[in-house]
Amino acid sequence: MERDGTVTDEDPGPLVRLYGLTGGRARPPGESFDLVAIVTTIRTPFELPGLNPEHHAMLSICRRPTPVADVAAQLGLPLNITRVLLGDLRREGLVNIDPPQPANQTIDERTYRDVLHGIRRL
Amino acid sequence: MEFAGFDRPRPSGGTLTATALKILIAGGFGVGKTTMVGTISEIRPLHTEELLSDRGVGVDDLSGVETKVATTVALDFGRITIREDLWLYLFGTPGQDRFWFMWDELALGALGAVVLADTRRLQDCFPAVDYFEQLKLPFVVAVNCFDGARRHDPAKVRRAVGLDESTPVVMCDARNRASVKDVLTTLVTHAVSRR
Ligand SMILES: Nc1nc2c(ncn2[C@@H]2O[C@H](COP(=O)(O)OP(=O)(O)OP(=O)(O)O)[C@@H](O)[C@H]2O)c(=O)[nH]1
Ligand SMILES: [Mg+2]
Repeated sequence: MERDGTVTDEDPGPLVRLYGLTGGRARPPGESFDLVAIVTTIRTPFELPGLNPEHHAMLSICRRPTPVADVAAQLGLPLNITRVLLGDLRREGLVNIDPPQPANQTIDERTYRDVLHGIRRL
Repeated sequence: MEFAGFDRPRPSGGTLTATALKILIAGGFGVGKTTMVGTISEIRPLHTEELLSDRGVGVDDLSGVETKVATTVALDFGRITIREDLWLYLFGTPGQDRFWFMWDELALGALGAVVLADTRRLQDCFPAVDYFEQLKLPFVVAVNCFDGARRHDPAKVRRAVGLDESTPVVMCDARNRASVKDVLTTLVTHAVSRR
């Protein structure tokens, strides 16, 4: 399967194949969560029927708390597919998904300066 | 708790907080949204085709009408790492009006938005401006200087779009890194001053 982060073009094939991963689901099970919600792996089972290689890759990535969008970027998967698979992991109790704080509540003076500095440094 | 395969405890007590901030890049068709995300992202920007409705379930979010047709929308996003535990995500919003609900999700809790405008067809940015004003989400209008000229007067753009005095208007070239950095720092400063 192509994993170059691009799932576009006229050919619907790749998208349809990718949706095989989710059994055709476009929405995650359970409560919805943001594209920048932080995902943290709680435990990695040695074996769990029903987990595919993408699920396992996600568990490995999220040992370090990682935003949903970044999991998608690292695996080159569409955001919504990533979200469905992460929803599966949450349902199995393997990951925590923490809703992000609204930016206007998160940003203190230090964060603000860091963000400005971070952009300028690029 | 299972001991087999146990990895790490849940972050607790706020010692380990990871934060991801969202910035939206909006504007009319072909105005440079994808270009802007690509210019500044430290990762190869993802351009994904997102499926929005379940195949076979048959209820389309957009209309509530039964449909078997899969609806897809193209999304761009990029990332800037600020600190080990702090990221900035740029989302290029889908241009078509029928994807407003997608904007609602992206805008929720966002730091702010960049509305890209092209002076040759300024009206194309009106829906985005209206949207963010209504939402009270801080935004800046970035005039993408397609012809390379700097002759566009920000004051004229402000008047034509009907912006209040506090909303910054900046000239930019979405292909130019320094220029995009300018736009983003202006937005962040504006967003913080608005709190
Ligand atoms: N001269 C000039 N051309 C630009 C600039 N920004 C983008 N372009 C070009 O304009 C075209 C459209 O840019 P895109 O970034 O694809 O625009 P978009 O807003 O993502 O377009 P849609 O997603 O189709 O709505 C591309 O050919 C870009 O190379 C700019 O600042 N100056
Ligand atoms: Mg685009």
